[in-house]
Amino acid sequence: MHGPLRLASRLVPPRTLLPRSERRPLLAPFGVRIGLTGIWYIVGFAVAAVSFTFLTFGAAWLLSHRNRGDVHKGLPYESGIDTLGDTHGRFGFSFYIYALLFVAFDIEVVFIYLWAVIFRDLLLAGFVSMLLFVGILLIGLAYAWRKGVLTWR
Amino acid sequence: MTAVSRAWGRLTLPGRIVFTLVPLLAVLGAGLVALIVLFGGTAADLILANLGFVRFLAAATIILVITIPIAFLNIYLEMKVIALMNLRVGPDRVGPWGSLLSVVHGLKVLIKEDFTPTAADPIVFTWAPVVTYAAAVMTLLVLPFAPGLYGQDFNIGLLYFFAVGGMGVVGLLMGGWSSFNKYSLLGGLRSAAQIVSYEIPLTLSVVGLLILAGTMSLNQIVQQQSGWFTDWFVFRQPLGFVIFFIAATAEANRTPFDLTEADSEIVAGFATEYSGMRFGFFFFAEYVNVFILSALAAVLFLGGWNAPFPFPALSIPLYPGSLGIPLLFLIALVPIIGTLALAAPFYLARSSMRWWVALIIGFVLFNVVAGGLTFAWAYVSFDWVAGLVWFMAKTFGFVFVFVWMRGTLPRVRIDQLMGFAWKWLLPAALLNLFVTAAAVVIVGS
Repeated sequence: MHGPLRLASRLVPPRTLLPRSERRPLLAPFGVRIGLTGIWYIVGFAVAAVSFTFLTFGAAWLLSHRNRGDVHKGLPYESGIDTLGDTHGRFGFSFYIYALLFVAFDIEVVFIYLWAVIFRDLLLAGFVSMLLFVGILLIGLAYAWRKGVLTWR
Repeated sequence: MTAVSRAWGRLTLPGRIVFTLVPLLAVLGAGLVALIVLFGGTAADLILANLGFVRFLAAATIILVITIPIAFLNIYLEMKVIALMNLRVGPDRVGPWGSLLSVVHGLKVLIKEDFTPTAADPIVFTWAPVVTYAAAVMTLLVLPFAPGLYGQDFNIGLLYFFAVGGMGVVGLLMGGWSSFNKYSLLGGLRSAAQIVSYEIPLTLSVVGLLILAGTMSLNQIVQQQSGWFTDWFVFRQPLGFVIFFIAATAEANRTPFDLTEADSEIVAGFATEYSGMRFGFFFFAEYVNVFILSALAAVLFLGGWNAPFPFPALSIPLYPGSLGIPLLFLIALVPIIGTLALAAPFYLARSSMRWWVALIIGFVLFNVVAGGLTFAWAYVSFDWVAGLVWFMAKTFGFVFVFVWMRGTLPRVRIDQLMGFAWKWLLPAALLNLFVTAAAVVIVGS
């Protein structure tokens, strides 16, 4: 296992002077770390996707025309009427409740996934414990349902 | 100097093109040869030593580039199919049957003005479509297109898919919030509430499948469905499939659940203030998302790249390299002979036909025949070609169903939408989970 690139490796003679069999891979520290955890693939691909987007934005910036227009051009489009009141003001309470329910159930999903993968080894014990786990959450859902939270207002 | 310019002036346009291109190509070719001679060995060394890394770079590039034709194809399919369903003609001007219109749409978006409203938060406003697009495209990393044709095979593939795919809603919310427009804000919040609600049934609907498969790696899930089409998970998880499909429709913001851009209610939802390429990327992401969710449905429930029946094990012992010198004669002579052979009947049967018209017909026919034969050979010889064919057929079948629903169904109301997710789909998904688990317990013990 190669560690991160250390200072000592700079004392190694240039690669091309070594016989072919003794040459170490140039990106070995990087490559090995990638091999250990897939997270570097994800990060690398995210960087690739984001840079692809910004490259396209750059191309569009070079190709498109721009003009500042007058003050009306920058106004928010609200069907031709000037904005009234505060845009980031109050909005429906239901959004918040749904977000809260989502957090509870989404964390449950993470547990259920891991449980599902090894379910064939757990069988009855796993079944009962998951029934208890989901049952507790379902009590919460039933309470919310009873309170009328699930009905959009 | 004057002699050169006088000679240049006397040239026709094709001559000028030839006299420009030939020296340019010669210089480029010489440069390339010199580069390969000087650095070819080192470069090959570098590539071979870091094969995993190079493979990843190639996969990332291919995946990013492949999204462009996929989105264009989806847009064209949508325009044309909906037009035919409405008894209209649809696009028919640009390219054969209007097939290049979506490309023109893409170019148009590229050269349009990209305007930021005065009150908007420019940084968040710019990053919103980036986040949406990146979240959509990053899920392609784990999708197995064909045997050996995938970005990465993670053992938590499905979890990764849902985790990264769920990030897309953050982009919509960012766009809605930063636009400083009431319609945008409402659209962004609506999409957040909708996607967040349907995320739960979507993720829970596949748990039954996970219990049966015993793995989250998409590759292994596909491999478990090989054989006859009765081995596909759709027949063992019918309820899960229905829930998955409904929730996927809502996740992709498609009709009947396209509340986020309900243009009759809130202008264009989160995209109201967007224009130019930033607007383009929102809808680029949406069409890529339709493809991705269709592909996931095909992978999980319809056997991915597996053919619906076990293909009889044919093997055509044809290795082009082993033919040697005769291969050169084959490449040189077969097109000419084939074209002439296919042109002759037309020329002989109709006396009014000009010889060059017959030759063109023969050439086109020869290409069709040769292309078909080559494809058949590749289908039999390479399992990834066969896999890709089946995968794409299933995926675009699902894309067609999405378009079909858009041409048929009206939009639901938002209270119906939210109530349906929590009061029907979530209990149904949990029921599916426990019924599957109980069945496994009974069978296993």
